[in-house]
Amino acid sequence: MEASLGIDIGSISTKGVILDNDNNILASTYLWTEGNPIKAVKKVLKDLERQIDKDVKVTSVGTTGSARKLIGTMLGATSIKNEITAHAIGTLSKYPNIKTILEIGGQDSKIILLDNGIVTDYAMNTLCAAGTGSFLSSQAKRLGLNVEDFGKIALTSKNPTNIAARCTVFAESDLVHKIQMGYKRNDIIAGLCYSVASNYLNNVGKGKKIEGPIIFQGGVSKNIGVKKAFEDLLHEDIIVDENGHLMGAIGSAILARKTGIKKEFNFKVKDANFETSGIECKGCPNHCEIIVVKKDDKILDSWGNRCDKGALKVKEQ
Amino acid sequence: MKIGLPKALLYYYYAPLWKAFFDELNVKYIESSDTTSKTLLLGKEKSIDEACLALKIYLGHIRELKDKCDYILVPRIFSLKKTEQVCTNFNCIYDLVRNTFKDIKILNYNIDVKRHYTEKNAFIKIGKELGFSIIESRNAYKKAKEIEKTYYLQEEKKAKVALKTNKTKILLLGHPYILKDNLIGKSIINYLEKNNISIIYSCQIPRDLIEFNCSKISTKIHFTMNKEEVAAFNYFKDKVDGTIILTAFPCGPDSLANEMIIRKRKKHPTLLLTFEDLTNNTAVITRLESFLDMLKGGIHL
Ligand code: SF4
Ligand code: SF4
Repeated sequence: MEASLGIDIGSISTKGVILDNDNNILASTYLWTEGNPIKAVKKVLKDLERQIDKDVKVTSVGTTGSARKLIGTMLGATSIKNEITAHAIGTLSKYPNIKTILEIGGQDSKIILLDNGIVTDYAMNTLCAAGTGSFLSSQAKRLGLNVEDFGKIALTSKNPTNIAARCTVFAESDLVHKIQMGYKRNDIIAGLCYSVASNYLNNVGKGKKIEGPIIFQGGVSKNIGVKKAFEDLLHEDIIVDENGHLMGAIGSAILARKTGIKKEFNFKVKDANFETSGIECKGCPNHCEIIVVKKDDKILDSWGNRCDKGALKVKEQ
Repeated sequence: MKIGLPKALLYYYYAPLWKAFFDELNVKYIESSDTTSKTLLLGKEKSIDEACLALKIYLGHIRELKDKCDYILVPRIFSLKKTEQVCTNFNCIYDLVRNTFKDIKILNYNIDVKRHYTEKNAFIKIGKELGFSIIESRNAYKKAKEIEKTYYLQEEKKAKVALKTNKTKILLLGHPYILKDNLIGKSIINYLEKNNISIIYSCQIPRDLIEFNCSKISTKIHFTMNKEEVAAFNYFKDKVDGTIILTAFPCGPDSLANEMIIRKRKKHPTLLLTFEDLTNNTAVITRLESFLDMLKGGIHL
């Protein structure tokens, strides 16, 4: 049976899926990148290989996420695509009518608007952490709780505390203040969930026309408190898919298959020795930092040079 | 004697006029080289933290230039129209440079139309400083103005050509010293050209259509230089497939003007890219790539 492999490799987590030609998930995995994308991908491959039958042949590979180029080079991917397109395609494969994708991850967040299956607008947060998962986890720590329990606790609140949500620093000091004032804990937690949602809408979602059907993805989507906050703020039902975290990987597997290029993939690459190194080109004062990827000591690819002089430099190496 | 022209900020508005003026008077000049990361580094060392990226780059150019010429041209512009203002950086740049670099000789002129310091008087003044009579300077200025006019007409024509192709067309909008800077806009331009995009620049809008087109979006904008961009958006938006706005951080005038554009864009695809000195190229390329995917609408399930 033919199948495609998709890998979504971000700074925090790495996701991988293997799809058959009807987009059924044959294998999937999710683990932390831990600052080492090559190692993470090797682990992902090992885990995926274990889950599939012998007769499954992976014939196309796609990558997305911030290390997509590195991993794409390493795996000989036929599709190396940005996160926006990959997420949109992945989500559409399951929800063809979706109009809005809200996504909040550990460190970043984005919104994608679609119309008739085409991306019409999107935004990514750039400067502010107040609308992301790391904000929630650090506040959970402050309250001595597990962030996983946040959602359940938030739902018990009838009266979410209003927490100044403009920015992380203000939110934090306001939170301390509200705790000292003696607000109920579940109300404060619900308030935090609201502040994440409203922060997201004011920041990433600013000026965007958010229409249903809406799907909520990314690590924070597992938090039912935030989901409910979005539902209240947007007056719409929100879909959360159990495979929401895999949409980027699913999308890249589909994009790879759609290229039509077939190239049998061998799981053995995980045993090869990959090395990346940075060399500085001194061809001009730009001093471009060129990334060189080597497989078993042979140069696979390099990038980062702003002009061709830099490419020569790599060859000389 | 040699005049140094730092290739940053006002250079991208006035280079044709400056060069023609000096050519006419037979005065030699040199330009600094294109911005590199080293230029930015040099500039950063001399700037306060709050300075915008463009200003940091400017100071870097001055450092690279200062030992290669006798004078550096650093104008002060306070107002170009009676009821308008320009970014405070242009108000203060002369004093800023003078106080940061004690060892350079500055060739300065001052334009403040509100207080009747006109461009013509300014050029007569620098002519005088270089030893030319009022008549010589005035004639040179007149010639230079003609050449400047031709330059802008050529730019208009380039836009017309760029609009005629059947490639995907993108309006690149921002201050010319951002769009054309080797370190900032150039990487965007290269990426777009590699992807077969036809680029139209906001500074290519015909000069005489700025007022009218700007008023279609807002009558309240009083930053002279931002008017050009807001106007260009109105003028080009229906002729292109999308708009990419480039802006330096932190920029007061842009934060107002760009917001205005984004609010009035309706369904026109628009991407705002903000650059600061730490901006990482991969993040920018991710956003560009998704923008092009979106414009081409080619990626369907
Ligand atoms: S790659 Fe090109 S631009 Fe980069 S440092 Fe080398 S010569 Fe300069
Ligand atoms: S207009 Fe903006 S980018 Fe230009 S000098 Fe002023 S602050 Fe800097």
